Amino acid sequence: MRRNLRFIWILFKLKLSHLMVFRLSFFGAFFADGILFLIQLLVFSAIYGNVDMIGNWNQAQMIIFIGTFSLINAISMVLAFFGINQLPNKIKSGALDHYLTKPISPLLRLSFESIDLGSIPLIVLAMVLIAYGISISGIILTFTSVAGYIVLVILMTILWYDVELIIRTIPFFVVSGTAITRVEELLELCFRVPGILFKGVYKIVFYFILPYGIMATVPTQFISNTITTWELAYGVGIVLLFTVFTIWLWRFGVSHYKSASS
Amino acid sequence: MNIISTSNLTKSYKRYEKEEGLKGSIKSLFKRQFIMKDAVDNFSIDIRKGEFVGLIGPNGAGKTTLVKMLTGIIAPTSGDITVLGYYPNKLQNEYKKQYAVVMGQKSQLFFELTPSDTFVLFKELYNIPDKIYKENIEYFIDLFDIKDLLNVQVRTLSLGERMKMELIVSLLHNPTILFLDEPTIGLDAIAQKQIRHFLKEVNEKKDTTIILTSHYMEDIKSLCKRCIVINEGKKIYDGSLKSLFARYQTHKMITILFEYESSISLPYDIEILESSPYKISFMIKKFEVNKVLKYIIENYEIADISIEEEDIGNVVERIYSNKVGDIE
Repeated sequence: MRRNLRFIWILFKLKLSHLMVFRLSFFGAFFADGILFLIQLLVFSAIYGNVDMIGNWNQAQMIIFIGTFSLINAISMVLAFFGINQLPNKIKSGALDHYLTKPISPLLRLSFESIDLGSIPLIVLAMVLIAYGISISGIILTFTSVAGYIVLVILMTILWYDVELIIRTIPFFVVSGTAITRVEELLELCFRVPGILFKGVYKIVFYFILPYGIMATVPTQFISNTITTWELAYGVGIVLLFTVFTIWLWRFGVSHYKSASS
Repeated sequence: MNIISTSNLTKSYKRYEKEEGLKGSIKSLFKRQFIMKDAVDNFSIDIRKGEFVGLIGPNGAGKTTLVKMLTGIIAPTSGDITVLGYYPNKLQNEYKKQYAVVMGQKSQLFFELTPSDTFVLFKELYNIPDKIYKENIEYFIDLFDIKDLLNVQVRTLSLGERMKMELIVSLLHNPTILFLDEPTIGLDAIAQKQIRHFLKEVNEKKDTTIILTSHYMEDIKSLCKRCIVINEGKKIYDGSLKSLFARYQTHKMITILFEYESSISLPYDIEILESSPYKISFMIKKFEVNKVLKYIIENYEIADISIEEEDIGNVVERIYSNKVGDIE
């Protein structure tokens, strides 16, 4: 564990050095991600600012929800997204060879080698948004509710990582998984819709098959005291299930790796 | 002691095949046709510690596939494989710490950063103690004379300089086995020579077992005592390079300069390479050299004679065109 953390730290320093080679991109990243966040915020305030209730959620809960998904999204962007996003290309080009021959988990290296600093301010902004939502909601915070919320955000970030990775391991088995990745990118937009709004088949899709529906919903329900024990258990259970499946699929994929010819 | 051992190792690939044109593409969209290809076919080898083994073969012969199985990158379809007591495709870190692999066409350096930055990552990857890291860096810098290049952006290095860095980064952790897949590909003659010198030194001084695949016979000839020839996935020769050349370098190239204008006709089966009134070059089978030369000396006024070994390219061509079991 200590060695892995040390290795992640080295990867972080190298990535930082790499980013600093290109000065415009280095400073531009903060600017671009900040603009993206503001646009998202404007869109949501335009949609949700004109109604008092969505489902059984009030405006304060919606703000907490928006802050929560922004937080999960930003953490994922900072840590792992840009790393695992390169996986299909690495499989196709054979660049994964070097990852498999080094005495460290190839998945660990791949996940943390493209840390994105540009999204760090978004974490702060998302937290400000959550704090604002809580302050206008009248929710009384306890140590348990804050700790539980943090744990759930971490778990849902892991779930997000699992889903992204599952989709990106498809090229281990097929020549090209581009179409599936594109479909997933579109479906990922549902991450921005509160899970409480999904009904019927949509609920099955977004709660079980591509569980974007629960990622920001469960922590929001938890901190606003509207979650049932069943919903909480389901949220935690689905993270465990997806994580076990992701690890198995990754290993299965690596054992089927064909390594493109040079 | 054998540190690499394979027995009846086979790797088969499924290849997608379609008829030409749009019609073929539409047909294959609904009904895929695949053919099986044995990239490596019943391959058995034993390699001892400290050996420098050359693996030669034409494009698509199966050399790289074999190296990928030995390093664990891909799993064999059937057969046995043991390297340093491990089954490579289990991808155990204990095994991976004991070898290094350099692929001529797949870089492991950070292009935008400096070689030193990559060295730091590898120090961490292999958990190399400070003392060994420093000693090795100094040793390799000295061997390649590349002190001035350590802190410049990798992308600004020449191909030869980059390959030197690839080799250094791979050897920092003192691997027991070094797998080299076409390390001199695309390099100029000087860089090739420097790399050969480097590899020879590493093999002798550090007792590193080296498995080298190369298209360049010169690499193999100047480095490897043992040579394995592979073609269409099958091993067609495994033995000393000397014997291989004795068996396949069957011709000599003879050039004769005449004192006077001459029109030469030779009553033998020879391949004329160049002919002019004062000069003739031809290829001749080794065992016929004496009688042909005797005939020429007796019948013509000669100014000079040179007898050279046959070009390596011809030898390689002859080796590859041979069928399994023809040798040894």
